[in-house]
Amino acid sequence: MMEEKIQEKELFAFASFDKYESEHIAAPKYSYWKSVWRTFFKSKFTVGVGILMLVLVGFSIIQPIFSGYDPLIAPNVNNPEMRFLQPSSDHLFGTDNVGNEVFDVVWAGAKNSIIIGFVATIINMIIGIAVGAVWGFSKKMDKWMIEVYNVISNVPFLLLAMVLSYAMGAGMGTLIFVMCVTDWIFVAYFIRTQVMIIRDREYNLASRCLGTSTWTMIKNNILPYLVSVIMTYVSRMIPSTISYEVFLSYLGLGLSVKEASLGRMVSVYTPYMNGYPHLFWIPVTVLALLSISLYIVGQKLADATDPRTHM
Amino acid sequence: MSNKGREVILSIKHVDVTFEQGHKKKLVAVKDANFDIYKGETFALVGESGSGKTTLGRAIMRINPCSAGEILFEGKRISGKIPKSEDRDVIRNIQMIFQDPAASLNERATIDYCVSEGLYNFHLYENEEDRTAKVDKALNDVGLLPEHKSRYPHEFSGGQRQRVGIARAMIMNPKFIVADEPISALDVSIRAQVLNLMNKLKAERNLTYLFIAHDLSVVRFIADRIAVIHHGEIVEIAESETLFEYPVHPYTISLLSAVPMPDPVVEKSRKHIVYDPSKLDQSGEERVMRELRPGHFIHCTNKEFEEYQEKIAQMEKERGL
Repeated sequence: MMEEKIQEKELFAFASFDKYESEHIAAPKYSYWKSVWRTFFKSKFTVGVGILMLVLVGFSIIQPIFSGYDPLIAPNVNNPEMRFLQPSSDHLFGTDNVGNEVFDVVWAGAKNSIIIGFVATIINMIIGIAVGAVWGFSKKMDKWMIEVYNVISNVPFLLLAMVLSYAMGAGMGTLIFVMCVTDWIFVAYFIRTQVMIIRDREYNLASRCLGTSTWTMIKNNILPYLVSVIMTYVSRMIPSTISYEVFLSYLGLGLSVKEASLGRMVSVYTPYMNGYPHLFWIPVTVLALLSISLYIVGQKLADATDPRTHM
Repeated sequence: MSNKGREVILSIKHVDVTFEQGHKKKLVAVKDANFDIYKGETFALVGESGSGKTTLGRAIMRINPCSAGEILFEGKRISGKIPKSEDRDVIRNIQMIFQDPAASLNERATIDYCVSEGLYNFHLYENEEDRTAKVDKALNDVGLLPEHKSRYPHEFSGGQRQRVGIARAMIMNPKFIVADEPISALDVSIRAQVLNLMNKLKAERNLTYLFIAHDLSVVRFIADRIAVIHHGEIVEIAESETLFEYPVHPYTISLLSAVPMPDPVVEKSRKHIVYDPSKLDQSGEERVMRELRPGHFIHCTNKEFEEYQEKIAQMEKERGL
């Protein structure tokens, strides 16, 4: 018995205890936005689509400055030789029924579509998030806001667009107004639901016990959790707004004759579809590429902003 | 030990907490809770799941409103509607440690923000340097390192997270802390670490704890006085040693019989006593808190009171008192 004890003593020694080592976190420092970009750029496909999107958006913004295209001026209107030319090295996308370069027309139209898509989405998002966040938090506001939602969400969009465009006159301002006047409530409703899901989590209770105001809680406890779902919403909203602009302009409710538009381009060129299909397919292809690339980049960004994908 | 002459910090007077369940249906979570907590002590509230112990803790934090009765802190009413300036004082003086350290920290905020949230809300710092110094000190007090400030909660272990939760409460310099099962979500190996930390901070800062728990063995280690709560009603209040030595109420006895002992011989012969409320006095007489011995209260009818008195006298005799 004694011998064993002696042996044990020889075999074992006290290990030293390092307080710093026991608390130190060896993993590299985590930064939310750095991880977002790392995840986003990891996929080659995403980077490719991202470049396509940048080229399309960049072209739409820069090219019209150099071309100086104006829908009211058709310099070659009296020159029949310049009409309906097929795409070639001289005329990249060919020419249309009044002798304008389709290349100029399509980028000028895309520029207006993009402006409307982005501006309307930003306005909707700002109003929607601000209203939705408070709506989700306040039970008192919820009672009457839900009634407001029921009323506004049941207004037929097309009817509203028609009435407003006749009353206010067609134009970019009117179109953006039409896109925002009711759409924000859908964003607000979506945000309200998301806020309600995480409103009663324990860390919000803890913040309340520390005396944090509702506004600070929305800013620091709620919205950071919603970055990913907001990005998903944005990535759907920009392409859908662009499509809506095209649709309304096609019906003649969108932009005025003074402004270039992909929608009206399609509607003007449709009669020549049989003889000169490129007049129809070029604006449609540009629209499709623009919508799809914006959507994919948005979706990938939404995925990357979800911290569960960071590990 | 007499409690007379000791300063009462928190006093709960006939508090009811009820929850509405739809139309005309009510759930009474806490019934007629009535006790005082003295300055500098650790008062434990023990009961099974759903007994209303957390609800009572949250009523003190004013998360759940009281439907009857009132709560006094240092003699001032804090339940119901109170002026904004008093409200801010109460927030600073009463802080809470939460049960689940993973759920009670904001995952998208750095530890720096989590700990200084209270400082920001009350602007308890002179300048940025002062704030940093305070946060560093708070982290140091709970055994964390200043380098942790730029980290996010998910990078920490459970025990570390709970210590962040403690630092966040302590930085406000509160007088009273509601600890809602602070160790039940933790690994057994780090429970003692957190309990020792809480005891150390209590001694250093002259704090008072309301310690909510379901684990009696833990409560014995940390509490000065214990209240046993069952189905929203407090059935027995006594000093911890008295409660463990002379448990009188059948529910307390049943709870104590369920405490596991780290001794196989004792464990083998352990008999679990099931609490059966139907064996209590069924005369329909209203039960009230009665003082059995100084500082030892029991929730009973008159008839039961006599029985309990006999029981405790017999127990005292057995133990040669």
